[in-house]
Amino acid sequence: MRIVAVDPDSCVACRNCEYACAFRQSGDFDRRASHIRVNFYAEERACVPLTCMHCDDAWCLEVCPAAAISRDPETGAVQIDAARCAGCKMCLLACPFGNVHFDRTQGVSGKCDLCGGDPMCVRSCISGALRYIEADEAVDLRREVLDASLRRLLHLDKGEK
Amino acid sequence: MQVTIVGNSAAALSALEGFRERDQTASVTLVSAEPVPAYSRVLLPYYLRRRLSYEGLFIRQMSDYARLRVATEFGARVERVDPATCELELADGRRLGFDRLLLATGSSPARPPIPGLDGPGIHTLWTLDDATRLDSLFREGARVMVLGSGFVALQAAWAARQRGLQVIVVELLDQILPRVLDAAAARILHEQLLAYGVDVRTGTRTDGVETDHDGKVRVSTDGTGAFAVDAVIVATGARPNDGLLPECLEPGKPGIPVADTMETSVDGVFAAGDVTRGPTSAGGPREIHALWPTAVEQGRVAGANLAEAGVAYAGSLSMNVTEMFGLTVASLGRFVEDDGDDVFESRDLAGIRYLKLVSRAGVPVGAISLGDPEGAALLGRLRPFVRQRRLLPDLPTFLEGRDLGQRLVGRGAIKEKTPCA
Ligand SMILES: Cc1cc2nc3c(=O)[nH]c(=O)nc-3n(C[C@H](O)[C@H](O)[C@H](O)COP(=O)(O)OP(=O)(O)OC[C@H]3O[C@@H](n4cnc5c(N)ncnc54)[C@H](O)[C@@H]3O)c2cc1C
Repeated sequence: MRIVAVDPDSCVACRNCEYACAFRQSGDFDRRASHIRVNFYAEERACVPLTCMHCDDAWCLEVCPAAAISRDPETGAVQIDAARCAGCKMCLLACPFGNVHFDRTQGVSGKCDLCGGDPMCVRSCISGALRYIEADEAVDLRREVLDASLRRLLHLDKGEK
Repeated sequence: MQVTIVGNSAAALSALEGFRERDQTASVTLVSAEPVPAYSRVLLPYYLRRRLSYEGLFIRQMSDYARLRVATEFGARVERVDPATCELELADGRRLGFDRLLLATGSSPARPPIPGLDGPGIHTLWTLDDATRLDSLFREGARVMVLGSGFVALQAAWAARQRGLQVIVVELLDQILPRVLDAAAARILHEQLLAYGVDVRTGTRTDGVETDHDGKVRVSTDGTGAFAVDAVIVATGARPNDGLLPECLEPGKPGIPVADTMETSVDGVFAAGDVTRGPTSAGGPREIHALWPTAVEQGRVAGANLAEAGVAYAGSLSMNVTEMFGLTVASLGRFVEDDGDDVFESRDLAGIRYLKLVSRAGVPVGAISLGDPEGAALLGRLRPFVRQRRLLPDLPTFLEGRDLGQRLVGRGAIKEKTPCA
């Protein structure tokens, strides 16, 4: 399956991805509705967009007591059916990455669904930091990236690997 | 091989699905006392609150069972397991044989020893039938008393309040939600209940209940006297449905003790979910964590091991989240500090009205969040640290969601197939 891969070295923190996602979610440009969130590290002059990784063993999907979360057979996206979601928030507590968000106006959880296979965040990315690529490739990319630029950033997590 | 599963809820379904991922040929039968396809207990309060339709309660359809090629015996209550002949004895007199058995029978509401609690007008909120019964009683202006102040009790109270009923909550202890919140968080929620017009009586013992000929229920309590209400909802906790196979119990202790493989002490018999007393992620003695996520996890392990996968459960970590009275209430692990623990407390972190993190030597062991839904996501990010007993090196960075190690390293999960839990 393909995922949205992130190359922090290329990201320029323009936040176009956040605006594009927010617009798709809510029809508005309030970034709080976005499922991709760009973390900006002023000191390190770096930024990292974070979004759902559609885990193979998606704990949010498994734990949902409303059976509202499923995997799209075509795109592989882990997606929430807003009509089934009761708003219990168990998926927010289940996600170890903080990538499930709560939509307070609708009272339901929301997350990246890969826009049905044409992610708006990637479309709107001006720097090539976001790419929609095969997950295997992304893992290689990740290793490269971790080796290089992220080392620098990871000192934010002193003591972390 | 014949695999038989007793139960049709979180633990049973995860086990069934986990088993079928590994074994497509064995014959599987699922036996459940309730006559319907699986519904979710967690959702019952949402139905009462009119947040969900009746149909929305159901989490499986008959076609799902067919797809997993499982024979279903719905509406069939198991009375006893005969370990000598490897048979289940059903209430209708039939006997069903098995080679491997999973007991996923869950739990039932505990009845406190209060005289009169078996009369008419006394209800619980546990099953689909309970919920539909309560739904018809929830008429605007009616008066209900909720005994207990746990998750189920307060969700019932909130549903009743939202439907326009007058609600009294009576709790024996000095704080509400004693198993989910510490005293400080409980006080905030308590105020919130009062603001929503709920009459909350903590530190109050219920002495007796009597149902009048006119249908009114009279409840006498110590201190605050007597109340006349239209219905009482008993929600003072749960007890495991562990009576089917007494051979696998330990004397005087509730719950079926299970190993990390979810095997019981009886050969070929597994147990998962609310019915078990199982290993916890903190180590130490087995505990009953009667929670949906624990039932799902245990079910999964049991299902894998019914197919001889040799999977070991890392142990459960209690986690709770719900929204009630306009607040997202979430807690995790051990959130009441012991001597030698460090406590971080914040009274206003971006809409989280109360946030508490308990850690020991830099390793988080538990947390509470009250307020915005983001608090639940924060606790979600904390969970792997608690569970894997990892150092949380930089708290401010973590609280801002700017910790990268955890969030990017997880990307490996895609390839390495490590469960993200
Ligand atoms: C109102 C309510 C709200 C809740 N909210 C939350 C929440 O927000 N978060 C959370 O984590 N947990 C919550 N819980 C708890 C959660 O529902 C349970 O932990 C979970 O359902 C346990 O799953 P289980 O499969 O072990 O057992 P159960 O869900 O209890 O299912 C047991 C199954 O076994 C069947 N069965 C039992 N005995 C027999 C028998 N003798 N013969 C045949 N079949 C039998 C039953 O019919 C049922 O299908 C809530 C519970 C209730 C009642």
